[in-house]
Amino acid sequence: MTEPEYAGAVAPERTRTFTSLGVPLRLSEWGAPDAAPVVLCHGMFDHGRGFDLLAPLLAERFRVIAIDARGHGDSGWVDAYTWGTDVADVVNVLRSLGRPAHLIGHSKGGGVATDAATRVPESVRRLVNIDGFGPPPEGFVIPGVQPDPRPIPVRLAEFLDGRRASADRATRCYPTLDDLIARRLASNPRLPRPWLRYFVFHGARQTERGWTWKVDLRAGRGFGPWRPEWIGPGYAQLETPMLAVTGSERDTWGPLPESVIGPRLAHVRRLERARITGAGHFVHMEQPEATAAVLLDYLDR
Amino acid sequence: MTATRRFSHGELTLALHELHAGSGPSLLLLHRLGGSSAEWGAPPGAWPGPVFALDFAGHGESERRAGGAYAPELLAADADVALELLGPCRVAGAGIGAYVALLLAGARPELVPAALLLPGRGLDGGGSLPALARGRILPAPADGPEGSTDPMVWTCDSDPRPPDYALAFASAARRLLLAEDGDARPPWWEAIREASVARRLAAGVTSPFAALLD
Repeated sequence: MTEPEYAGAVAPERTRTFTSLGVPLRLSEWGAPDAAPVVLCHGMFDHGRGFDLLAPLLAERFRVIAIDARGHGDSGWVDAYTWGTDVADVVNVLRSLGRPAHLIGHSKGGGVATDAATRVPESVRRLVNIDGFGPPPEGFVIPGVQPDPRPIPVRLAEFLDGRRASADRATRCYPTLDDLIARRLASNPRLPRPWLRYFVFHGARQTERGWTWKVDLRAGRGFGPWRPEWIGPGYAQLETPMLAVTGSERDTWGPLPESVIGPRLAHVRRLERARITGAGHFVHMEQPEATAAVLLDYLDR
Repeated sequence: MTATRRFSHGELTLALHELHAGSGPSLLLLHRLGGSSAEWGAPPGAWPGPVFALDFAGHGESERRAGGAYAPELLAADADVALELLGPCRVAGAGIGAYVALLLAGARPELVPAALLLPGRGLDGGGSLPALARGRILPAPADGPEGSTDPMVWTCDSDPRPPDYALAFASAARRLLLAEDGDARPPWWEAIREASVARRLAAGVTSPFAALLD
């Protein structure tokens, strides 16, 4: 199948492999290699090529480096995934650049980037968090899926059962790429189908048995006592200036109501906010030009 | 006599040592953070059944987890595979092994009739809230004792341990024993103690393991 095209999408100018904690990570780059660096972190089950619209616009002034998170895109898989190792990977990429970088993350990547900036403020100039302010207090509600009311020990038993079976890494295959696009469209109905064809193509691979996601589905199966009320107090420890970007439109995974996001962001000491009109959760995919304009203005100050 | 069984779990090979043979209830020992099964020394006196000790991932003779992901729930998943092999076991753990024993006693009550929690490295974790302190992300090898231990295991020194989370597991456990020695204990341990869902073993008990058979 030939690679789909999409207006404004520019493939990375350079790709390379960066090894973090023994895991090969795919880094995609745009822009002059000696320009000031900007590091991009994608969201859960996404991949670095989701920045093919935003990155070329930022590359007019910066060296843009998009990370494929471990288990995602063209990065390696591991036996188990934790939030801490995702943060460590971003920290390792930042430290490898030899100079402080701007750091931008979307959704889960925004949360990971915020934690990374908190831990190594000396490596981060400015932080942009695009709708990555955590789940609502009740957790993300997936349409048609009820919250799990079972006691925590019962849920851990289910996690343990899954780990017992984890030697079986068989992934589900679908007959056509359109089947994958339809699944993504059901979760993210705001994203245009031609863009999803481009985005899903780069997040999938064709095998003898059909089309399958590149992502390791185990990357979404962590277990621990983490809870949303820790988000705000965590922000209080952030020294780096943060631009908090949200879209204007309701969407599957955000933006959070102001009654939730406001009190969390009130903990950020050096906060600016931006609201992008005509975008839902995938702000930089839905409105790349407007997003880039806001980001370039913020990063250059 | 010590025989070592190696079993694979996912991409890891883990070492399970049989410290003592016998006919009777099985005992599984889980070591402290940064430790290994070798530290248990002679098997607890007069234990009537077989005594096993697991080397956690990244410790002793078990492999390191590629990519460096260590958390109590992941260590519990490794130990759970040992339980799958061994069948029901009384479980005794020290330090982080105690916390893992608590998780298993709550999640697998049919396999863990009783668990004994002993002090040791990794008992506290990062306290009741996440430790986001600067620099606490990539521990250097010098952070921990020398040896074959994967430096990334020290990230378990900062994982959050909310008291209500621990209490949920304690309440689901069939029988839980807390080894007290007069030293301070982390908030999660105190929550279990105060809720009276566990039996306290006073300081100076010569063989706390025997209480697992009561």
